[in-house]
Amino acid sequence: MSEIIAHEHYPSTSINDSNQTLNGLGFKNLILAGLTWLKTNQQIVNSLNVFPVPDGDTGTNMVLTMQAAYEEIEESEENNIGKVAHAVAQGALMGARGNSGVILSQLWRGFARGLDNQDAMDAPSFARALEEAKNTAYKGVVKPVKGTILTVAKDISISAHESLERTKAIDVMLETIVAAADKSVSHTPELLPILKQAGVVDSGGKGLYFILDGMLRYIKGMNMDVPEASIQLISTLNLENTKEMIEPGQDYEIILDFSPISSLDMDSFYSDLGEIGTSIQIGEGEGFYRLHIHVPKENKNRPIEYVEKIGTVFSEKTENLMAQMEQRKKKPDEEVIFNPVEAGMIGLIAVSPGLGFDRIFASLDVNAVVKGGQTMNPSTEEILQAVDSLPTDRIIILPNNKNIILAAQTAATVSTKKIAVVPTRSVPQGLAATLKMNPSGDFDAIYSEMCDALNEVETGEITQATRSVEVNGVDVKEGEVIALHNGNLVYSSDNPEDACLGLLGKIDLKDHERITLFWGATLEKDEVDKIASLIQEKYPSYAIEIHEGGQPHYQLILSIE
Amino acid sequence: MTDNIDNPLGNIFITHRAIATIAAQTALTSYGVVGFTSRDFLRGIMNLVVRDQAYGVEIVVNGDQIGIDIYIVIEYGVRITEVASSVASSIKFTVEKYTGLTVDRVDVHIRGLRISNMD
Repeated sequence: MSEIIAHEHYPSTSINDSNQTLNGLGFKNLILAGLTWLKTNQQIVNSLNVFPVPDGDTGTNMVLTMQAAYEEIEESEENNIGKVAHAVAQGALMGARGNSGVILSQLWRGFARGLDNQDAMDAPSFARALEEAKNTAYKGVVKPVKGTILTVAKDISISAHESLERTKAIDVMLETIVAAADKSVSHTPELLPILKQAGVVDSGGKGLYFILDGMLRYIKGMNMDVPEASIQLISTLNLENTKEMIEPGQDYEIILDFSPISSLDMDSFYSDLGEIGTSIQIGEGEGFYRLHIHVPKENKNRPIEYVEKIGTVFSEKTENLMAQMEQRKKKPDEEVIFNPVEAGMIGLIAVSPGLGFDRIFASLDVNAVVKGGQTMNPSTEEILQAVDSLPTDRIIILPNNKNIILAAQTAATVSTKKIAVVPTRSVPQGLAATLKMNPSGDFDAIYSEMCDALNEVETGEITQATRSVEVNGVDVKEGEVIALHNGNLVYSSDNPEDACLGLLGKIDLKDHERITLFWGATLEKDEVDKIASLIQEKYPSYAIEIHEGGQPHYQLILSIE
Repeated sequence: MTDNIDNPLGNIFITHRAIATIAAQTALTSYGVVGFTSRDFLRGIMNLVVRDQAYGVEIVVNGDQIGIDIYIVIEYGVRITEVASSVASSIKFTVEKYTGLTVDRVDVHIRGLRISNMD
């Protein structure tokens, strides 16, 4: 507790007169707490999003914005609250996502300005900072719509000033403003008709409430893992999406329809179920409730046992999610089917470093692939086998790696078929060459077109340095993420996002219009999505595409056309 | 300068100006937008904030697709790209909702920043 508030004991009474102050490190903990609780309730906030555009991303945008704000201070040991608040504002500004994120960043900007040159914050300066936050946020809009996050910010500021008359304790003031935020959020449908029609409260306002409530919960030592109790209409339950993200401990999905003996106490209902499983959703129907929950194997029977204690169960549906996931995982291993080549036509063989690329090459009518790439060069023998497997005697080979060109050329001289090797040094070059393919065309003309195509594409590669080295003036430590442009080391970083942006910064993008990311086996899809959106932000006029490459070693291969 | 929608009882004509007004009103309630400038660059410089908001909006109709250009001033200190994309998606959503036409393009031109507070 002493970390948060500069005095030792949390007061047991709700109002006290002790003169509390909050320092920078305490504020940092509160920011993390706000972020954590918002994140827990992210889906609730998303589900409320109907205004201005019903795209269901308010919660996500606010979480990303708060995340950026927290990242700015995560490593900092600064104890001056004015400086920490400015860093938070800076992080929120740079990471602002969506409308709600932009407004949130302005609130933090004003809040920080209210704490200018202050080492620590007491109750009056807290109230002043909240007022400045509101003022700054309101400056960003000409016609503020009533019943949004701005209204909630205004009500918070008013209640902070009112509570100054009763208390000088920051935690008590926080408690007051959380209550005021809650009340203000519940009032939003009265101010904004579209909310009332949709039967929701304002999503941004609710998000702001969660941030403040998270801070209060942290001070009180309350749990932040189980989302706030909420009941939706059954028709609005979105159970499909919950299956997309299955984590360990979510072996079974259970859906129960039941009617309780007496009215449901949502808080205890949620917290009891929270002990049993995750992804809890409750829907209300005509005289009954529907419960959705994911549980680990050993808790398979506990939801029904629990619900039978408080009511009558009509129906139960159990699905084994792990088994479904296993089945789904198997699919990608299915064999990739290549377009057959007819005798007399030109055959095309590509060296591919991963299953994803196998599929891409197959979709571009490559007739066979040979597995290989960095540190796994195929032998001449393996290339010859692929050559022999095609029922034609004119074949073009794309080695797609500088260390494989020689093996391919050897295969070409050994084979009795007519073979040309296009010296592709990377997979993007291979893909560019593939696009020039025409099985019934003129062999020499296609070969020369393919060779010309190599210059149309820039290749970027993101990988891990296996040793410390200094090349081209770039200093690299072992284990760092490095970026290669057409095979040359140009940038190093400690994370792939930055490495990507650094790499693109080194490439002359003027004559190009498309950036394609092929992600490797070591990277998760959502990391790639994040990187892609960062790139899109920085290079808005470029088309960004992402594909699974499945290659080992390289987190990403970039093709810039 | 009007957009024609077939209707069993006759035609419905929506003028570009009406669409521009919807777009302008939406932009004005959109966070971060503090004013409009004229789409005419020279006039825009001489008279930074135009009085009639619809002057800051240009509507191009191609078949049943609407393209919108909007010329705005935004508040200093907000993340410009996010404000611009929010404005674009709000305008697309609102214009489509009110007119039933399809908006295939909203280009947001940021012609200036208004500074209320320097940090």
